[in-house]
Amino acid sequence: MLNTRRKLLVVAAGLLMVAALVALPVIAQDAPPGPGEGGIIIEGNFGGDPATMNYILYGDTSSGAIIRFIIPGLIGVNPDTADYEKNRADALVTDWTVSEDGKTYTLKLRDDWTWSDGTPITSADSLYTWNAIKSGVVDVGVIGYLVDVIDTVEAPDPTTLVVTFKEADCTAIGNAASLAPVPSHILPADFAELNDADYNMNPTVSGGVFKFAEFRAGEQVSLVANQSYGGAPGAVIPTGYIYKNVPDQNVLVAQFKAGELNVIDNPAVGARADLVANPELNMYSYPGNAWDYLALNYADPTNPQSAYDADGNPIDQGHHPLFGDLRVREAVAKAIDVDAIIQGAVFGEGVRMPAYTIPASWAFNKDLPVIAQDVEAAKALLDEAGFVDHDNNPNTPRVCQGCLYAEEGAPLRFTLYTNEGNARRTAVGTIIQDELKQVGFEVDFQTIDFNTLLDIMDAQTFDAFILGWRQGYPDDPDLTQIFASQSDVVGTGSNNVSYNNPKFDELNLKARTLPGCDPAERAKIYYEIQELMQKDLPYVPLYAINGMYGARKEVQGFDPRPSNWTWNIETWYIKAATP
Amino acid sequence: MIKYTLRRLIQAIPTFFGITILSYGLMLAAPGGPVRALTFDPKVTPQERERLAARLGVNDSLPIQYLRWLLGDDWMRWDSDGDGIADRSFLLSLDADGDGEPEPPGTRRGILRGDFGRSFYQKRPVIDIIVERIPATLELGFASLLVALAVGVPIGIVAAVKRGSVFDNFTRVMAVVFNAVPVFWLGIVLILIFGSTLRLLPMGSRCSALAIGGCPPVFERLEYLLLPTLVLATGGIAGYSRYMRASMLDVINQDYIRTAKSKGLSARQVWFRHGARNALIPLATFLGPAITGLLGGAAITETVFSWPGLGRLAVGAVVQQDYPVVMAVVIMTAVATILGFILSDILYALIDPRIRFS
Repeated sequence: MLNTRRKLLVVAAGLLMVAALVALPVIAQDAPPGPGEGGIIIEGNFGGDPATMNYILYGDTSSGAIIRFIIPGLIGVNPDTADYEKNRADALVTDWTVSEDGKTYTLKLRDDWTWSDGTPITSADSLYTWNAIKSGVVDVGVIGYLVDVIDTVEAPDPTTLVVTFKEADCTAIGNAASLAPVPSHILPADFAELNDADYNMNPTVSGGVFKFAEFRAGEQVSLVANQSYGGAPGAVIPTGYIYKNVPDQNVLVAQFKAGELNVIDNPAVGARADLVANPELNMYSYPGNAWDYLALNYADPTNPQSAYDADGNPIDQGHHPLFGDLRVREAVAKAIDVDAIIQGAVFGEGVRMPAYTIPASWAFNKDLPVIAQDVEAAKALLDEAGFVDHDNNPNTPRVCQGCLYAEEGAPLRFTLYTNEGNARRTAVGTIIQDELKQVGFEVDFQTIDFNTLLDIMDAQTFDAFILGWRQGYPDDPDLTQIFASQSDVVGTGSNNVSYNNPKFDELNLKARTLPGCDPAERAKIYYEIQELMQKDLPYVPLYAINGMYGARKEVQGFDPRPSNWTWNIETWYIKAATP
Repeated sequence: MIKYTLRRLIQAIPTFFGITILSYGLMLAAPGGPVRALTFDPKVTPQERERLAARLGVNDSLPIQYLRWLLGDDWMRWDSDGDGIADRSFLLSLDADGDGEPEPPGTRRGILRGDFGRSFYQKRPVIDIIVERIPATLELGFASLLVALAVGVPIGIVAAVKRGSVFDNFTRVMAVVFNAVPVFWLGIVLILIFGSTLRLLPMGSRCSALAIGGCPPVFERLEYLLLPTLVLATGGIAGYSRYMRASMLDVINQDYIRTAKSKGLSARQVWFRHGARNALIPLATFLGPAITGLLGGAAITETVFSWPGLGRLAVGAVVQQDYPVVMAVVIMTAVATILGFILSDILYALIDPRIRFS
């Protein structure tokens, strides 16, 4: 009996040992690998080579995709709230204070974060960024506008940065965050030499999660783990990151499905259903920050004028023969079935917008209903505006009989542009053309070269166009450059529809400069702005396109947020396939 | 021959300048401009756009912009006393933006002094960008040219020899088909079959993403070259085979072929030794421009196969209105084409005794 029990125990112990031996590799495989041993993240890049890897110079998406990993964030952003946050582990600033007049921001920086060569990162590195911007001799990129909003920047000690703005402005913290540090100790003291600095394409020093390894022109940029990264010192798990050029969208998706890429950002909407259904992939869809709109010109396109002359006096801009009348713009908005557009042109990957704030924004007015399609109401509005169906023929446009700004007898006809090569907007334009025909418009829909369209937009000689904007993260709902009358500058301003409403200017300024910048109070003003603009309709709002991030199932730690899908990339690793 | 070559080169100089003036004028006449393309961002202010336009010099008149590109601007605005501030100018005003401060001294030397300028978009010397792309362009170009010749020429000869046969008819139809098939479609179909479905070949790039220190020698990564070469060569195979067939048929009716036949030479000797060798002579006129034309790249094939060549670079530069890069590619292609035609004429005269340098 004892022998039998002993035998059983021995057998059981043997089985346990075998089980343990079998289980060990599995456990080992499931446990995260050590720093720098997590494998290589490979992302497809649809946009071409990064133009530069110098933060001060960059202006393109590809450059931004690399720079986010080699330059430390100055002010942290909470990935869940998408708002600036003090004392985040992944950013330099631990705290900030604002002066009573709301113009001066004093930022306190960590003192334990170093560049990859061991040199401490200090406020002097952010000061270098500012001095380069205002030098006037540097080919500054997206942050060039800071000279228009920032007055002075000082670095009184290595952990203090004092930023004084020209005006108190609630977007100030976002603008201060744009003064990211660069490794000033290896950059030229003479800013004129910065444009051609070797660092620009060979950034040997990094303060981010990765270090630069190699640039292969037209092919890829390779980065390797930076274990001196202040956000996770000695704990960056992935071995490296490759940003690989794949200029064809179809090939990009095919490479992702085949495993030549292991993460993807915003695949084409037409490919998404297939990707979501693929069991080898983790796809994450979210309300996006890119939105399309139909812009209608307020002013006379035959005699374009800026809103103000050089002395600030208003200029008579005339009226667009059709869209100068609010009722015609309302008729356009009511004639369009945006839901059908989302299904027909965006494969259902869109969310309707009642006005001009993206649904994902903290300033989005959830109580504002979208403009419902109402064909009969649209026809009635056109009748009221003096555009009548003179011959009861649905194939001919209405004509002006007592309308406000068009010549008597002129047909209800306009030209609608969008950029060629964009299948989504071409489909949107075709649907709009068809729907407007139902209420008596004749739309000459043209897809034209993007640069030609930009030319026409800047010259303000258009009737209408379809295009899109993309908001940044953290979201800034400020609409100054798009709709404020001061931005209605022929040739250079983005308010090319010549929307000029003092009430909007007042509310927009109030929301932007509200003392204390309380988000709830600001949101209320933005709600009011959205209601106002839904009535004024400088743009007919269409939809925000859903965003999508994806990773192959073997990528562990992939946990995206809409505002930042790589916020925890230092923990990612590639799980080896089980034999 | 030297005298002839020199004369042709001298004749090429006005052609070259004509091309540069025409290209520059066309480029600037195109709608849009680099400023908007570089600042399509809702945050950018009108003032920032104006500053950028001044920095790039794109608001200057066409002749000034052309002169700056050709001869530089270090003689248009310069610092005579060495204090780093411009104090003299010619053709340009010292304070172009009217802010009371002189603009920085000009630093460009112009293409005639070897300075192709800086890319508006990539913000670095154009010559660096071009040089980076040339190896990949030549690699794909030569590979496809070799395949096109190696396949197209024999097909043309055999089709002519077997005129009216099934082979002749089949290759004629296939030539039309391959000429008609869009390159991007063929490329994507091949990628989906051999890369995505069968997973036999990579779906693009010049070498593995994991290759360290650049791509290894070409013979170690032929699998990456295979599909783009085939796609790019299809048009060449079709063209060369048809051209060779026509040339061969022309030769077949010559007296010397009849003579060779009557001497009792074998058919193989008649066709290949006497026929094909002479039929190849007109092909020499193709080869010069074809070889130098390789520098122009193959934009569509390069795009579909993520090939880092000049064609893709040029198309991107046109879209972005990156004038310095566009002009550099135009100049390089123009020079190569001019030289290609001269080379072609010289070759023709050398290999065909009936042609004399004159």
